[in-house]
Amino acid sequence: MMPLLVFRERVKNFYQKYEIYLIPVFKFMFALASFLVINKEIGYDARLRSIPIVLAISLLCAFTPSAIMILLAALVVVLHVYCVSKFLAIMVVLLLLIIYLLFARFTPRLGYVLFAIPILYFIKIPFMIPILLGLISTPIAIVPTACGIFIYYILQVIKTAVMQQTTSVEDILKTYTNVIDNLVGNKQLIMTVVIFALILLVVYYVKRMKVDYAFEFSIAAGALTSILGFLVCDFILDQTDQILYMIVGTIISTGIVYGIHFFKLTLDYSGAEYVQFEDDVYYYYVKAVPKITVTAPQMKIKHINVKNSVHGLSKNGFHKQDLVEEDLIDEVEIKLETVENTEDNDKS
Amino acid sequence: MVNNDRVRIMTKLAIYEGKEGKEDIHLSKYYKVDYVRYEMIKSIIFATLSYVIICGLIIFYRSEYIIKNALSLDYKSIGMTALAYYIILITIYGAGSAIFYSYKYDRSRKKLGRYYKLLRRLNNIYKEETPEA
Repeated sequence: MMPLLVFRERVKNFYQKYEIYLIPVFKFMFALASFLVINKEIGYDARLRSIPIVLAISLLCAFTPSAIMILLAALVVVLHVYCVSKFLAIMVVLLLLIIYLLFARFTPRLGYVLFAIPILYFIKIPFMIPILLGLISTPIAIVPTACGIFIYYILQVIKTAVMQQTTSVEDILKTYTNVIDNLVGNKQLIMTVVIFALILLVVYYVKRMKVDYAFEFSIAAGALTSILGFLVCDFILDQTDQILYMIVGTIISTGIVYGIHFFKLTLDYSGAEYVQFEDDVYYYYVKAVPKITVTAPQMKIKHINVKNSVHGLSKNGFHKQDLVEEDLIDEVEIKLETVENTEDNDKS
Repeated sequence: MVNNDRVRIMTKLAIYEGKEGKEDIHLSKYYKVDYVRYEMIKSIIFATLSYVIICGLIIFYRSEYIIKNALSLDYKSIGMTALAYYIILITIYGAGSAIFYSYKYDRSRKKLGRYYKLLRRLNNIYKEETPEA
């Protein structure tokens, strides 16, 4: 454990030192991964798939707020679909608009969840999102989580729908009916939303319990809920071939969330602040660096052996509380002895 | 001469103003009732817009049936059903957003309380520094 803790401290120091450069780098990597996954799954437009374009968009995302990235991701998805079917592109726009107007506008800070879920679905570890959100957020995060799942299923349905020919009006109507049927009557979609909400709530409430290792317990409880929930779901939907993937995915997700929790201090660390202000006399350009407090592990030894305390250990200056406790022990032992003596006397 | 205590407080205030304080200070311009009412109206407008889109999608989904039975459809009852769903939707949205935004307003006021406390301290430091005329 000690090397890991040392490593964590090193990461924290490194992050503090190079924070200005690291944040854009992380944002760039996240954006790049997102656009690569989108291109891999529904990359119908060769122009948008080209590496220079992907790099340029990711670079733009690195230096802009996260809302811009979400907007660009939505735009890229719509443009890809537009390349194969204008009608389906309009449908995607309308569905995304409904999601935004009805739900996502209430949680603007969790907007990245909307696209993180489809991306994690494509790399087979979507289970980490509800566990992670249960740890770092509130139950309101259920809303963007459900929206993210819905977006993933929209993309899945669109992927199959683009295979169909849409030359005549009848074809368009048929495709449209198929898409709506697959979305509205999709039991797996509804069950996934319910299970993800359940995982998030379980993690959130276990985390708030006043017990030792509540965070670790909450991660484990979330993983257990995920496995049980999806087991039931897979049995109901008769998808037993998915069970292994689900269990492995949950275990990997739990590992990642535990890793994130381990580095939580580093992630929570707000970083140096650069602020400017003025008063009547001066202009101030202040760099405010938060203090990092490293708590050294404390070893507490409690002596309950009376003889040692009398003869030698008192030199080392142990606490008064220990002495009091030992006195109490003495008293209890004396009383026990007297009780035994009286019993012996009675017997005799 | 630069007063360290003053710089410390001013830095804290500037950090708050630059981040979450932006929204809190913006909210402080409204009375709670005005703010909640404004957000409720916005939510109802957005819900109406989405309801129109959903209705459009449903009409297109049922277009074949609608065209076939255009003359025999009971438009009055369809209209009443649509209106009933609309009323349910905006009631839920109106009530939901009223609760949500009133909670958000109260939370921002709490944070602003701490901000004003620091401002008062800053003001006191200024008063101590400036000799009274």
